[in-house]
Amino acid sequence: MSTKMGMGKLPSSVLARPQVLLPSPSAIQSSSSSSSPRIPLSITQVRHATFVPRPRRPYTFTQLVQLSDGSTYTVRTTMPHGLLKSTKDSRNHVIWQPSNKSLRNVEVDEAGKLAAFRERFGRGWDLDSNKPAAEESSATAAAVAEAEGKKKKAAEAQAPKQEAAPVALVEEEDPYDSLTDLISSYAVEDNSTKGGKSAKEQGKLDKKK
Amino acid sequence: MASLRGVSRTARALPLSQLTRPAAPACVQQRRSNASAAAAAASPELQELEVNSTLSTPDLSPEEKAQFRPWKRAKDRQLNLPGSRYQYHPPKFTRGPLHPIQAPPASDPIARDFVPGPFNNPRLKQTYRSTISSDLMTLTYNHVIPGTPDREPAERLRTWEGDSPYFKNRPKRAPRGAPQLMVREKDITFRNIPELAEISVASYVPDCKDNPDMLLVARMALLAITGAIPEVTKNKTDVQGFGMRKGVRSGVKVTIYGHQAYEFLDRCLNIVFPRIKEWPGIKGSTGDSAGNLAFGLRPEDLALFPEIQGNYDMYPAKMIPGARVFIKTTATSDRQARLLMQAMGMPFYGSLKD
Repeated sequence: MSTKMGMGKLPSSVLARPQVLLPSPSAIQSSSSSSSPRIPLSITQVRHATFVPRPRRPYTFTQLVQLSDGSTYTVRTTMPHGLLKSTKDSRNHVIWQPSNKSLRNVEVDEAGKLAAFRERFGRGWDLDSNKPAAEESSATAAAVAEAEGKKKKAAEAQAPKQEAAPVALVEEEDPYDSLTDLISSYAVEDNSTKGGKSAKEQGKLDKKK
Repeated sequence: MASLRGVSRTARALPLSQLTRPAAPACVQQRRSNASAAAAAASPELQELEVNSTLSTPDLSPEEKAQFRPWKRAKDRQLNLPGSRYQYHPPKFTRGPLHPIQAPPASDPIARDFVPGPFNNPRLKQTYRSTISSDLMTLTYNHVIPGTPDREPAERLRTWEGDSPYFKNRPKRAPRGAPQLMVREKDITFRNIPELAEISVASYVPDCKDNPDMLLVARMALLAITGAIPEVTKNKTDVQGFGMRKGVRSGVKVTIYGHQAYEFLDRCLNIVFPRIKEWPGIKGSTGDSAGNLAFGLRPEDLALFPEIQGNYDMYPAKMIPGARVFIKTTATSDRQARLLMQAMGMPFYGSLKD
């Protein structure tokens, strides 16, 4: 029959209040007035009546998000702004867009000042100076090739060209000639780390030697 | 009375005598009765049927129309009818499936635990449904020649070896060095493609010992970024370093599921992570070897969420907390979970732990 279906909808008799959840006022008064040790009121739920809580949820708005490349999508959010225009997001970040060359951190040396500095003081001041020598030379060669391809101006590419020539020579010449470079590269200290070695670290190094 | 319910409201307001009068002209009734008389003679059950159709009822006469005054009936009524608003309230307590008073299901809009929605289809979920899930299944496909017998997995529990008769039927021992069995990695098939299950965001605020408002601000921040009400957590043990006592309220946490979880992850990946300065990615060694990944957000990272940034003045200075985010997936190993996250656009750095 339709009794089961209609039971939920029909207004039915008022439920009796559970005694454990809401103790009667007389019990509270008696416990407070008497000097006997207070029995803590149990707030545990009785098994035969499960409370149905109303879900608590904050107000959420529908928001249109526009990423830096112009793509848009809607989200539900707690902020009341209707439109969120993003200037920095995954569409213009090098981690998510590795093929986009304009996002890369390329050293701009149009005036040749950095090259001049390196010619005078060496590359020991660079952050990546602690790299292995071969890797560094290949990296510089690649950088030089890229720079030459980009600029194609003799005036601007002076310093890199000067550096490119010895690199190429080193690769062709006798390996013993580069021994000094090898030694100097070992002697270079790591400038990127701050502070000296602790006694423990120094002891480890001594043991290795 | 039951037959009256099917009649229209105007007809119901009429006196009963009008409804029971002969409905159709005599000639029409005569013709019909000829046909029905034969049927009635054939089967006596059909005699109970009403021969007159309500559609053939003639129009009311002017006198009858003048007599029809519903406003007068309403005015003369002594008792007030119940209000026109829907008065039903679902019960506050469920008392089991056998109780005569049953609460409506949660999908019913009048139910106490009804939550409206969904109001949009999250972009990341659409991507998962359309692209990521099928890609994961296809790219991790491992062909097994049909008919190949299944390889028996190695027994991880230890048996009791010895001469003692008490060893017989004794339950096996846990593996050496690990009290619990770890989750075994299952191949990705069409039935168990890894999926985002839930995201928990937790924030531990030991400074709330001196300034209780820190807890409130942490709660506000998590509420804003997740869109769900956080709950306050208490210390499980004494923490000497922070000077915290066991049982003291010292943090907030919130767990979000479904669309909320997808949107939170989408916001992290597309808006928050790219804004963090010098961000290398998520550490590759993260994971609990059961397909759940985690990462941390510093206070300055948490302030990059558009929900907090858009209303930054609401938060007192230097009180926005950091948070730990736990991504729970249905993957059975960390590498499967990482595959899912990488497909969603989460970069990892460092050595990857499988």
